[in-house]
Amino acid sequence: MPNWYATSPLRWSEGPVADMASLHSIDDIPGDTGAAREREMRRYQGACWVFDISRVRALIESVSAGNRPVDWVGTLLAGALTLDANGNAVHLFGAYAGRERMLGRSVGSYWPAEGRNILADLIVGAVAAHSRRTVRKIRIKSLVLQDPVLLAWMSDSSDLTDVVFVAIVAEPIDDRSFWALRTSEERYNNLIHHLPFAFLEVDSRAQAEIFDEQRRKGLKDVAAYLDSNPDDIIRARDIVRITDVNRSAVQLFGARDASDLLGPVDPLFAASPETARRVMIHHFEGHRSYSEIMKLRTLDGRILDVSLSVTYPTRPERLDITLIMLEDITDRLRTEAQLRQLQADYTRAARISMLGELASSIAHEVNQPLSAILTNAETSLRWLSRNDPNLEKVAQLTTRISDSAQHAGEIVRRIRGMTTRHIPRSVALDLNEILEEALLFVRHDIESRSIELSVRLQPDLPKVRGDRVQLQQVIVNLLVNSVQAIQQRGATRGAIELSTNTDAQGAVTFTIRDDGPGIAEDDIDRVFNSFFTTKEEGVGIGLAICQSIIAAHGGAINAANRSEGGARFCFTLPICE
Amino acid sequence: MSKPLLIAIVDDDQAMREALFDLLQVEGLSARTFADATAFLAAAAVMEFDCLITDVRMPRIDGLELQQCLRARGSSIPVIFVTSDEGEVTRTQAMNGGATAYLTKPLANAELVRNLALALERRSGR
Repeated sequence: MPNWYATSPLRWSEGPVADMASLHSIDDIPGDTGAAREREMRRYQGACWVFDISRVRALIESVSAGNRPVDWVGTLLAGALTLDANGNAVHLFGAYAGRERMLGRSVGSYWPAEGRNILADLIVGAVAAHSRRTVRKIRIKSLVLQDPVLLAWMSDSSDLTDVVFVAIVAEPIDDRSFWALRTSEERYNNLIHHLPFAFLEVDSRAQAEIFDEQRRKGLKDVAAYLDSNPDDIIRARDIVRITDVNRSAVQLFGARDASDLLGPVDPLFAASPETARRVMIHHFEGHRSYSEIMKLRTLDGRILDVSLSVTYPTRPERLDITLIMLEDITDRLRTEAQLRQLQADYTRAARISMLGELASSIAHEVNQPLSAILTNAETSLRWLSRNDPNLEKVAQLTTRISDSAQHAGEIVRRIRGMTTRHIPRSVALDLNEILEEALLFVRHDIESRSIELSVRLQPDLPKVRGDRVQLQQVIVNLLVNSVQAIQQRGATRGAIELSTNTDAQGAVTFTIRDDGPGIAEDDIDRVFNSFFTTKEEGVGIGLAICQSIIAAHGGAINAANRSEGGARFCFTLPICE
Repeated sequence: MSKPLLIAIVDDDQAMREALFDLLQVEGLSARTFADATAFLAAAAVMEFDCLITDVRMPRIDGLELQQCLRARGSSIPVIFVTSDEGEVTRTQAMNGGATAYLTKPLANAELVRNLALALERRSGR
């Protein structure tokens, strides 16, 4: 069980070593026949730990000699193992975690973040002194202990060469306040544990110190700095450490228990190295928090989409911990993607059905260049079959054949663009161009019904952002609607006006006006509803899809009747930033 | 010596217009091309054409309306439609309006040449 209790009840200060007179030493009680370790553990009445420092001996000696590598504190505490801890020690840091959270574990896995530097300094001092006669002491601050003092020493026994003893000695200030605090801590503990989000407590002070130093040296543009010093990001991922996690985090990462996750924060960014860079930049720039959606590789190898939120410690409370919250949004993103695909499929189905209605108009468009090609090819052959072939003429005709073939190819490409399955893309587009392209599909239909088409395009129209095919679909749909409306009126002639413009808000507008019968007043609010239709053969999805496409592009579409008769449809799209 | 023959081509599609012009040229016929009916009518008022080749579907004045307009003016010029419109209704309208031929695209050059020859023969034999 993760030890959220670990940061309390002690709060540490980095003040100087103070008067040790208040220490209550029981040193004068001689240890009888017990082992040297037992004797040392009972040296002070208080919380006591026994650490095996064999794995970090070299580091301690190096620090002692004045050589302090980056994050030596983290490395030291990660390498020092807990051989033993007395009841008070368990009670003080690990009452809820239990003794097993300490024994055999690294000191770094449970020692409160704010007390690490002091402890590491003290261990180095004790090893340097290497005698139980020289006990290193430092006064620390606590909310529940009166004048607590942290002590460290080594035994004189030759059996205990790589063992450091650490104790905290003090008197409880007030039992009631202690228990009140403990109850509050427990409530917090329960709350954090049962939240459905993964919480990680992170100690990023080693990195903060590096940033402070760089700031002092005048670093301003941290992004540029990290670009030219990518190793700093790798180092940060190592020296910034996860010091505690909740139950949801264990589940999210597919870990066996919390201890799998404690240590360098590196695994968090395994699948999203760029995220580490952005988290660092926001930290350096003094932001209070940062969040983004990132990929997470779990310990059991799954790749998840998670929403990451980092809350940084800020001055003056910078001794506090950095909190990272992770929410698994893999399912949500998958559902959203499926929904988008479904909408795209539906939109495409409507598009294909719409093209079906325009088949004869489209056939005409393709037939035009093909006819020209045939005629030109036969004319060429005639020139060539003459006794004196006119090669100049043949060259000219061949160029025309090539042009017409390209034109036909372009038409086929556009038709295919309307029918093939594609994921809508958002790119900068010129709506005037889209309008011209859309006309290809309908122009012949319009002409064959003796409908006068007038097009007024605003030159230098600002670009809009969107999907070319979907916007073409909207315009074709509105055009077909107008043509059918004019036809419904039964007149032999009709008129459609198309225009593009920018409105007072700077948005790009498209307007289509027809001189059909207009929209019945009762229907005007329903024309964009799915399955609303006034046509006998209509399904009533065309305008509904137009509306959903325009809405997905951040725009709006509306319908109105014109005072002079006929209908007017208008949509607006925000301009491309 | 008789006056050289002059054919009018009216089609809003530039590629088709040029192709028809070249087709007639290789056959030794002179032609004038027009992008729309209005331009042709203006020219027809001051010069005489021996045959009109026109599309049906065109913006503003379509081919059928153009034929009606010519007949209303008392012109007996042979009219050959060259069109993508395969609709029977349009074909009947065209033929009832006095068209010489109603040819659908894409069409072989020989087909047009044959119909053109017939139209010109009929016109000269009149």
